[in-house]
Amino acid sequence: MTADNSGSKAKVQEDLVDPKLRPLIRLAGSPSEKPRLIGSKCKSCGEYFFPKRVLCPNCLKEDVLEDVPLSNEGKLYTYCIVKAAPLGFDAPYAVGYVDLPEGLRIFSPLAECDKERLKIDMDVELIVDKIREDKTGQPIHGYKFKPASP
Amino acid sequence: MRTVCIIGVGMTMFGRFPQSNVIELGRTACLNAVRDAGVATKDIQVAYAGHARTGQLHNRECGVGQSILWELGISGIPVSSVGNFCSSGSTALREAWLAVGSGMYDMAFAIGVEKLTGREGKGRPLTSDGVELLTVMGFSPPVYFGNVLTRHMKEYGTTMEQLAMVAVKNRRNAGPNPRCQYKDPITVEEVIHSPVIVDPLTLLNCCPTTDGAAAAILCSKEVAGRYTNKPVEIAASALCSGPYEKCKDITSFGADRLAALNAYEYAGIGPEDIDLAEVHDCFTIAEIVHYEDFGFCKKGEGGRFVEEGMSGMEGKIPVSPSGGLMSRGHPIGATGLAQICESVWQLRGVAENQVRGAKVAFTHCAGGFQDTIELGDIQSSAVTILKRGW
Ligand SMILES: [Zn+2]
Repeated sequence: MTADNSGSKAKVQEDLVDPKLRPLIRLAGSPSEKPRLIGSKCKSCGEYFFPKRVLCPNCLKEDVLEDVPLSNEGKLYTYCIVKAAPLGFDAPYAVGYVDLPEGLRIFSPLAECDKERLKIDMDVELIVDKIREDKTGQPIHGYKFKPASP
Repeated sequence: MRTVCIIGVGMTMFGRFPQSNVIELGRTACLNAVRDAGVATKDIQVAYAGHARTGQLHNRECGVGQSILWELGISGIPVSSVGNFCSSGSTALREAWLAVGSGMYDMAFAIGVEKLTGREGKGRPLTSDGVELLTVMGFSPPVYFGNVLTRHMKEYGTTMEQLAMVAVKNRRNAGPNPRCQYKDPITVEEVIHSPVIVDPLTLLNCCPTTDGAAAAILCSKEVAGRYTNKPVEIAASALCSGPYEKCKDITSFGADRLAALNAYEYAGIGPEDIDLAEVHDCFTIAEIVHYEDFGFCKKGEGGRFVEEGMSGMEGKIPVSPSGGLMSRGHPIGATGLAQICESVWQLRGVAENQVRGAKVAFTHCAGGFQDTIELGDIQSSAVTILKRGW
């Protein structure tokens, strides 16, 4: 595969990602890479934030936050399975909160919606995949967590 | 702050009124409150109107209070809108309390109104205000409470039966209350087997979509004596934004704990002094968490509290004797003042589902989700404590 091809492939995937979520996600640039969520870390107090913030609320400084890729593995803190879906979403789908090692507990769609395969505290890993459809039926992508491969 | 009393309350029927609009609903509630108080409208010096969705749903962001009061011929006074999620009505009451308590005004109107039927996306969960990033990923209020429930079940062994008992109790309480949207009794089996909205929450674990309005007239204790020998005192009114703790425990709401703590402290009482509570039972799991956050029982024992009948009419603290949001319905901005109406009637001893000898009532409304992807807290919680002023 040429560099050009992988570049345009990444571009195609980036176009599918919900524009509101694009600043939060760094897509895998090559098959050996994994997608990452981008948060901020405060150089002064060390706290992590997701999504990125401009002002550190602890330090009240604007120039202390730097973009950092977050761990793409976490633990499932809690979840639920949506059966009555909002417009654009296909039921059933699962969503939950995932604990990242950076001390973040974040909302995320889940790639698995079989109740038997979801367990509190299970290991989960980040992917980028379809989360809903737009009005014309085109898929819209975003980040998700799936049960980690054993 | 001087002591402030409620001398009149009024509300509409709560239900689905597709032909009505927010102004008509508000007018009816206000007229009922004026008649109940026996005041002349010219004596009302300031007014606050709580509403949360009139802008989004009816193109009426501002001026709702002015338009309602215009219908009653009330003019030339300060009137403002109070938008504060599900606590909008309670916040309007609190503003009125502060206005009279400060000594600036002697008589104030607190109004709450909302019309939720006829919105787009009927039959789907109402989305939350703000939280844009969460919403594009499939978040909605039942999703939040579904997540609360899964974790509460895992940590404390709370069961579907215990949850259903909250819905069954609140529906039983609604039976004699003509203002409730739903009054027919339901069973634990029916609640558990109703359609699943967000697993593990079924339809009858969620409050319905409702229209309605409620209002209260407040005045100083001194002025109250001219109108009634049963003035209801506002012993405390506390309002809190979320404490926004990092990696917070989803099975407890920080804003609620703080608001209750502040209200207990201001009123100089504790949970053991409360005769009844009207809490924000938007979902059955929410009521169970409220028992724990307000100190009605220990953390994690909310499920057992309802199972053992402690929140029932003959229990330690009757909760939602009016039927609660689960049965009365939840027109967002009106709910806080509907709780005040129902509690005033309880303290006067004239409620349809009367708690015998009630002297102290606790009301609570909360709403709004922290606008971030990190697990956040409820953004607004209001606790009001009322007591007999005679
Ligand atoms: Zn900092």
